[in-house]
Formats: sequence, structure tokens, C-alpha cells
Amino acid sequence: MSEFRYVTKGINRTDGELIVTGRAMYACDMELPGMLVAKILRSPYSHARIKGINTDKAKGLEGVKAVISGADIGYRRFSFIDTPAFPADQTPLAVDKVRFAGEEVAAVAAVNEEIAAKALDLIEVEYEELPSVFDPEEAMKEGAPAIHEIVKPNTTTAWEDFGVPSSKSRPYKTVNNISNKNLIQYGNIEKGFEEAEYIREDRFEIPSTSHVAMEPHVAVASFQPTGKLDVWLTHMGYEHKRFWLAKLLDIPISKVRVHKTYVGGAFGGKISIFPFEFIAAYFSRVTLRPVKIILPREEVFAGCPPSRRMIVYLKTGVKKHGRITAQQVKLIDDVGAYRRSSPTALYLAHFFRNPIYSIPSIKHEGYGVYTNKLYTSAKRGHSLSQMVFAVEAQLDMICDELGLDKVEMRFKNFRKKGDTLPNGDKLRSYGLPECLKEAAEKIGWEEKYGKEKFRGLGIGTASMFSGAHNFPFSSAAMIRLNHDGRMILYTGQTEFGIGVDTVMAQIASEVLNCPLDYIVVNSGDSEVSPHDLGNWLSGGIFVSGEAVRRAALDLRDQMLKHAATGLDIPIEDLEMKGGWIIPGSDKSKRLSFSDMSRYGIQMAGGDPFIGKGYVKCVPEVHFWKGKYNKTASLSSGKGRFTEAYGLTLAIAHVEVNPETGEVHILEIVIADDCGTPINIKSVEGQIMSQAVMGIGDVLYEEVRISNGIVMNPNLLDYRVPTANDIPKISSIIVDSYEPNGPFGAKEVGESPRAAVISAISNAICNAIGERIYDLPMTSDRIKRALRSKST
Amino acid sequence: MKRSVLLVVNGDKHEMFIEPNLTLLGLLRENLNLKGAKEACGIGACGACTVIMDGKPVNACIVLAVEAEGKEIETIEGLAEGNDLHPLQRSFVDHHSFQCGFCTPGTIMTAKAFLNRNPKPSRGCQGNVNSHTLMTTIFQGVNKRGVADHE
Repeated sequence: MSEFRYVTKGINRTDGELIVTGRAMYACDMELPGMLVAKILRSPYSHARIKGINTDKAKGLEGVKAVISGADIGYRRFSFIDTPAFPADQTPLAVDKVRFAGEEVAAVAAVNEEIAAKALDLIEVEYEELPSVFDPEEAMKEGAPAIHEIVKPNTTTAWEDFGVPSSKSRPYKTVNNISNKNLIQYGNIEKGFEEAEYIREDRFEIPSTSHVAMEPHVAVASFQPTGKLDVWLTHMGYEHKRFWLAKLLDIPISKVRVHKTYVGGAFGGKISIFPFEFIAAYFSRVTLRPVKIILPREEVFAGCPPSRRMIVYLKTGVKKHGRITAQQVKLIDDVGAYRRSSPTALYLAHFFRNPIYSIPSIKHEGYGVYTNKLYTSAKRGHSLSQMVFAVEAQLDMICDELGLDKVEMRFKNFRKKGDTLPNGDKLRSYGLPECLKEAAEKIGWEEKYGKEKFRGLGIGTASMFSGAHNFPFSSAAMIRLNHDGRMILYTGQTEFGIGVDTVMAQIASEVLNCPLDYIVVNSGDSEVSPHDLGNWLSGGIFVSGEAVRRAALDLRDQMLKHAATGLDIPIEDLEMKGGWIIPGSDKSKRLSFSDMSRYGIQMAGGDPFIGKGYVKCVPEVHFWKGKYNKTASLSSGKGRFTEAYGLTLAIAHVEVNPETGEVHILEIVIADDCGTPINIKSVEGQIMSQAVMGIGDVLYEEVRISNGIVMNPNLLDYRVPTANDIPKISSIIVDSYEPNGPFGAKEVGESPRAAVISAISNAICNAIGERIYDLPMTSDRIKRALRSKST
Repeated sequence: MKRSVLLVVNGDKHEMFIEPNLTLLGLLRENLNLKGAKEACGIGACGACTVIMDGKPVNACIVLAVEAEGKEIETIEGLAEGNDLHPLQRSFVDHHSFQCGFCTPGTIMTAKAFLNRNPKPSRGCQGNVNSHTLMTTIFQGVNKRGVADHE
């Protein structure tokens, strides 16, 4: 790594001063002249027909500027996934019925929050309650209450708009509340189980956990008399936001500007569009005044989607020596009232863990099932943590049954560098075996395993895409030379805690061999930056960072070409160094970048020197006017998804108090293959924060829903780890180089969380000598498990 | 019934005419346009809104503005001396002690109040910066989740 000058170094955040002085501008800080405040009325019922809404009294209140309900908005459908097979099933405000307690029913815009709140109380809604179903396995049975009968698309679907080859949109008739399903198969599952010498079948259940992004969800919208919409949002990439706002409001995408804001955390919880964002924009359009909505924490908990609740039926066959022959999964995704990203989740649940173990025969069937509960969505490693929790738990049980070494068993089943996955994705880098080796050594696996009473060790694994072929399918970047020799770099990446401006400047500085402060980064403004994949599915560095690298290379080539002409020196003789272009043959003729800016303007016809770079997520996938290649299918899992996988292996060492069931985590070691770390400090920060998140997922966190009502919608009743819960956590970055990533980099932002969840939960079960099949592993559950063991 | 309050914020006197149910956080953010302190939970559980009132850290979201009558309030905006960051601010930058940064102003104000009470918390170490290094290690882990329990 020593050959790099800027990349890999733990350089301080270039915007650090902004953050520590309180000057970083988050959407909630945005103020505009004449701004109104909007509030939302939500359903108290989990399933009810709306018989009538009377907003007259609310409209009559002084200071109220607009009141809307579903009747005003109608069937404007949206979803995270909107394909002809799975058309969008949600509307910004409930039209005919409500399907979960917390659903948006009406909204008010007023001159201040107090008046808006008073107006909500004046809205009269007549409901007719309907029978609800909360358990997904009950909901799948014949005769269960029907939550969605038929979804009739009244526009093209998003996939048609994106140009994805598919049939025309068609109505979706829901049978037995099944919102979506998939089936991924390869090898020969019957033969695989016939060859097995030991087979296990288990059921695991994973609840929803909240993202607990510190900034609640916020939208500020300002519709201009010119027909342009300016928005400041809590988000993870502007492309989906502006696409959906444009589609729902029927204005051109180019007239929606998502402004740069700092975002106070996201973790998957702020992706795609939400009703409140549409409501803010709609109010701004009808009042021609700026409108702000800040969701209180209670509404984030009870009205915005947490992580996916999943039930995993898992069957694995192995040889006596530990080689896996076949694995069968039946996954039930309890989606709640709306499907949202479930079609994606069901295939990611397989593909995010596919690079870990080489399993000759797989059958993976998934069902998204509607229930009358808060709908669910992605959380850091969408479906990865749920799936690997089950897989790693069962592998540990198999090892215990067959007396196999848990480390050896995993070594035996890992894939290999250079492997091609069944869908065609290639593992050009694969550091998982090194991760296991180094983590086991660091934690002292051999010395400790099985030798300590009420202490245990557990292993967790994970893998994650480095960007996927999803809209807008590519990222681009631009870099412009200024008169002073400095450059402005434009990238669409969003700052929600990843240090985008810093790492992108590091990449550009590395290419142009100039001081870091020569690069001024303009990030996350949809009107200024070219299209960008956004900061989800972990493509930030691998895809958008590579676009930045290529933009810098383009600028470098342009400057060197013109310098060669201007100096009449062969280009091969020129070197860029320290912000200069230096001829090897005569260093006194060196040119500054500022000289080059002047050359471009005076001698090259006014050439401004603008470099551009772009990267397609998966270059071989394309579709255009009837031509297409290797397009991915969510339902069958065929087609290409990503160019590189980040990989993590975690080992946890825990102690359990057998009297109280309390868990004391002694140490967590996380070994990660993220390729080249672009900024070692921010990589360590990513890993650390996922370890902390994972501790919460295992020990405390669950969005508890009883009869459709969220019971713990605040930060006192919903416990997350605090400083006192943080054990010794070490991270190891294994030596790895991803050939297609910028300077060898790939994903790091999502896979460690899943690995940590499996590691801690396996360590707890190892410590108590009993299996717990559900999360979280609270002290009550642990005590119960210990009691059942002794009886 | 509106009431008038007089308070000092970052050394500046403010006399305001406010609703009795206005929180200190509301006064700072809405009336004085000081956006550094943030609301993340609204019930005093997370500390993102921490400011210092007469030397003590308080959750501004659960302190009424009228309680601040006659008090001296310090917020993140008043911490740097002109262009020079406070050593705590510098230390947070140098130790990568934040990611999204949303809870950082509150966390820094908590740390400042702590160090005011306890200027040399680690034996033989040089005051703020070093002791802060230890705190940073703790905060590194929690800052994205941000729920920095002050105790």
C-alpha cells in the first residue's frame, strides 16, 4: 500500500470543521422565507375502510393553508420496486382503506406547527373496522382477511420508465396475501440431499429493528412559480427521489432539484420515496410556499419502515466430514401492509450470501406476505443479516452434532478466489479464508474454544455487492479545472456519514498527484452533478469512486496533451507531481495547473478542461430498444448483479451470567476484505459502527408490534447500545485487491453488521450450550433456554 | 400567555417574548436560528440537543425556555474562538470521531461540560486532548447510533 500518496491514508475529513462547529446543514436545519409546516394524520386502525373524511373544520382554522386527504390525491401509486410483475401498491395517502395503524390518512399545511397540530384534531374520519391479520403464516392460509385484493396500475411502471425489458404493466391479483415470490435453483437438490450423510432442518425468526438514524425523516419542498421543484431531503441518493417526485407530481425529472444536505444517518431507512416527501412537495405546489415536514421520532418508529421481519426454514445436508451437499431455504418475508422492496429482498437474501460457501445444490424459495402491520424495508445489508443468522446458526449446530471443528468446517466450504457464481458473477478478489485465519488467531480460538465455563465463541460471515445494476445503472463524475489551478469535482454521492467528499478528493488527488486541497468537492446536488447510483447497495466507492478516478484520468490526459503541445515536448517526457507538470528533460520548463488553465483559454480556443468519467455497474448487462443482455431477474435469480463482493468474517467472545441471562461481550474481532481501503480511518469507522449496530440487533433491538400497534416507538423503550455496552472491538483489513475497483477498492459499508450478528449470537449459544432460534437474544430468552436445558 | 425571558447565549444577551411551552431547543433553533443543537428523540433520551446551562449539560429538548431565565447558555456555535477551533473540536476532527455528524454538536457539548468539571480526568495526562482521546474511542462506536448516555 505504500506506493499510494493519498489513497489508503487515514486523512481527516475535509469537511470535519463544518461538522464540529455545528455548521453542516441538515435538511431539518433548512429555513426558507414564508415556509409552512406540515403534519400528518395517521390511522389508529390496522385495517379499516375509510367511509368518509371531513376536512372542513380544519380548513376553517386560522393559519391553515391547505388540507388534503386520499380523496384529493387519488391513486398515485409508488413503491421501492415497481415492475410489471409486481406493480406499486402504495399511495401517499390512503384512498379507500387503511392497511396498518400509522398509515397516512390526511395532512395539513399551516403557518406553524401548533396550528397544524390543532387542525389535525379537527379532521373527522369515519372508519369501518375490518378484520386484521398479523401473523404472516396465518395470512398465507385460505380464508385469511384479504389486505390487497387487486392492484391496478394506472400508469407505466418504474421499470418501463427505466427501459428494463419486460412485458407491459398489468394488474396484480393477490392470492392468500402473497405479495411476491421467487424461486432460485441450481444443481440437483434431491440428489444433493441423497448424497448427504446428515441433514438438519430448523426454523428461525428475525424481528424488525429500527435504523435509528439520528436525524429523523425530513422533507423541505419549495415549488417555484416557474414550475421547478426544489427539495432538501434526508436521503441516500437523489435519483430515486427525483424520479418518484417527478412521476407522482407529473413534472419533468430535470425540474426537480434535490439539493445537497448533510444527512444524519440512513442505513437503508431513507431510501426510495416516502408519503411525507410527496405531501411536502404537493403542499408546496398548491400553496406556492415552501413547506417543511419533520417526522417526530414516534412517527419514524411507527410510520416509516424498519428492517424486514423474516422467518427462515432452513434445511442443510452435509457429508460426515462437513462438506455441504445441499441447502434448501423457505423464506417468509412478513412485508407488512405494503410490498416495497420485498422482491429485491427475497433475491438478495440468496445472492448476498452466495459468495460465502460453495454449495453444489440450492433451492431458495421466498414469499413476501402482506400483514396488517407497519411495512418494512432495507436495513444495512438488506436481508443479509437475517439469512446468514440462520445459516451460520445451523452450521454451528451441525458442527456440534457431528463433532466437527467450526473453523475447519467453514474453511472446507468456502468458495475460492476466481470462482464464478451460478449467475455469472465472478469473485476476482476473495479474502474470506484469510479473514477467518487472521480473526481466529487474533481472538485465540484454539486456546479458548470449549475451555471456559459460560463463555463462548461464535463465527459469523457475510458478503455484499459493491453496487448493483439498479436504476440509474451507472455513476458518472466531472472535474473542472479553475483559473487558480484548483479543481472542482462533481459527484452525485450523498453525505450521510461516509465521508464522501474526503474519499473522492483522495481518489482524484491520487490520479492527478496534487495536494488534497487542490480538489474542491461538490457532492449530492442533482442539478449540478451527473447521474449517480446513490449510496445504497454499497456501490459508493466501487462504482461512483471509479467514475471519479476516470474523470480525474480524463482531466490528466487533457492537461498533459495540451502541455506537450504548448511546451513542444513529447507527452512521454511529462510527469504530474505536486500540482505541477514537469518535463523530465528540463525541469525548469515546468507548468503549474494554473498555467494550464490559462493555456486552455488563450491557446486552445478557450478549452475549459473538464474531465468526465463514468462506470456501468455491470458493464456486460445492457438493454436498449429491444436489445438486451444478461438482465437480472428478481424472481428466478438469473442474470448478472454486481462486479465485486465485499466480504467479512467476525468472531465474538462472550460471557453469559447463568443466573441473570445477561451477556457480557468480551471481544469482537472483525476481519474484512474490502479490497484496498481508500481511507483506513473511515473504513475502521464503518466497521466499528456496524459492530455496535450488530450488538443492538442481537441483544436488545426489536420493533415490538402488538395487535398492529408499535409498542416501543421512542428511544427510552427502544433500547440501543450506548457507550457502556461497547466491548473491545478490533478490525483487521486483510490484504486484498479488487482488480475492477478504484485502486483495488470494493464494498465495506454493509457486510460487517451481518457477520457480527451471527458471531455474537453463535457465541451466546456456545456459552450456554443451548440454541436460541430467534432474535433478539434477550436475557429472558437466554434464561428460558438455560431452564429448558436443565429440565 | 406569552412571557418575556432574558438569557445569555454564547455571551450575547437576548430578551425574548415567548410561549411558556416553548422548549430551550425550540428557542435556540427557531427563535435564534442556532441550528447546531439537534432534535433526535424529543424526550431527553439521546443527547443530540445537549447545550450547557450555567456550566451543566442539559437536554435542551426537555428544558423549557422559561427555565433558562437569567441563565448563561453555551452552544456549539460559541465554542470556537473566532477561527480557532476549541481543542475538543480539533480533537474530534483529528480522531475521526464522527460519521454523519448529526449528534456531534451535542456530544462535544457533553464532553466540554464533563471536562469543565473534571479538567484532568486521566492521571498524568495532559488535560483535554488526551482525555478526549479516550472519550473518542468510546464515542467512535456510538456516534452513528449517537445515543450517548451522558452518565
